[in-house]
Amino acid sequence: MGIRLLLYLAILILGALVGYKQLGSSKVDCNLSKIQSISLLFLLFVMGVKMGLDDRVISSFLELGFQAIIISAFSIFFSVLLVKSVKGYITKDSKKGRQKNDS
Amino acid sequence: MTRKIILAVAIGIGVGYFIPSGYILPYTDIIIDIGLCFLLFFVGMDIGKNKEVLNKIRRIGFRILLIPIMIIIGSIGGSIFAGYLLGLPLNESGAVGAGLGWYSLSAMILANYSAKLSALAFISNVTREIIALTTIPFIAKYIGDLESVAPAGATSMDTSLPVISNATNPQTTIIAFINGVILSIAVPFLVSFMIKI
Repeated sequence: MGIRLLLYLAILILGALVGYKQLGSSKVDCNLSKIQSISLLFLLFVMGVKMGLDDRVISSFLELGFQAIIISAFSIFFSVLLVKSVKGYITKDSKKGRQKNDS
Repeated sequence: MTRKIILAVAIGIGVGYFIPSGYILPYTDIIIDIGLCFLLFFVGMDIGKNKEVLNKIRRIGFRILLIPIMIIIGSIGGSIFAGYLLGLPLNESGAVGAGLGWYSLSAMILANYSAKLSALAFISNVTREIIALTTIPFIAKYIGDLESVAPAGATSMDTSLPVISNATNPQTTIIAFINGVILSIAVPFLVSFMIKI
């Protein structure tokens, strides 16, 4: 995990430097969101293929799918709820900053 | 975008299920790694173009840590509640939820405890990732940006990060990455702790 984390961080920083210094071509800049969306959908497709290829996913899902859906749905629901409950506290300064800039 | 994401994942699973695994299986990991690096580079570019974003994150400071803490409590609490409804032992359902979407690691840790629990951890966390990928744009649009980081759990630093970036803004993307790193470090400790309770 350590090497992978460093690789992701390095790529993010490299991209941020290119974006900050505006080294990318204007064509790429203009189409950044379109390129991101297409790459994202392709990546998700391949991730789906990987899941479909894994026999364990299908066999486990047939056996334990109902329990898995209930557990993951409640985990997500409670996580979203708790993050929402502290969001006001986390973003209070940025809201103040925004109000100051507005006035 | 939500519909396109659901379609991409569903078609992918269908294609993966019906094609012989020998053709493509050896290449899926490398394609995902290259695709992810490519996307992370563009996510970085997006962040770099917004010069105010680091100041905003600095202003939030240590309060940022509340997000992974709430995700951990919510995930484990939610899975324990689900386990209670399903009649599962609370420590087992808690350990499954403590995987926070990292299916390979949580299944591996729980394999020493029981093969069935390991399979449940694996498929629950795969399901969590699929639900996360498909609901993040919806949650970002109708509930809030920060809340959209929660479903991703530990995957908010890698596989879910491009989806979060696409659905939110550079500030939330950086928060999601930091959140993913913290949760990924926490998963092995949380799963081992929960199963021993």
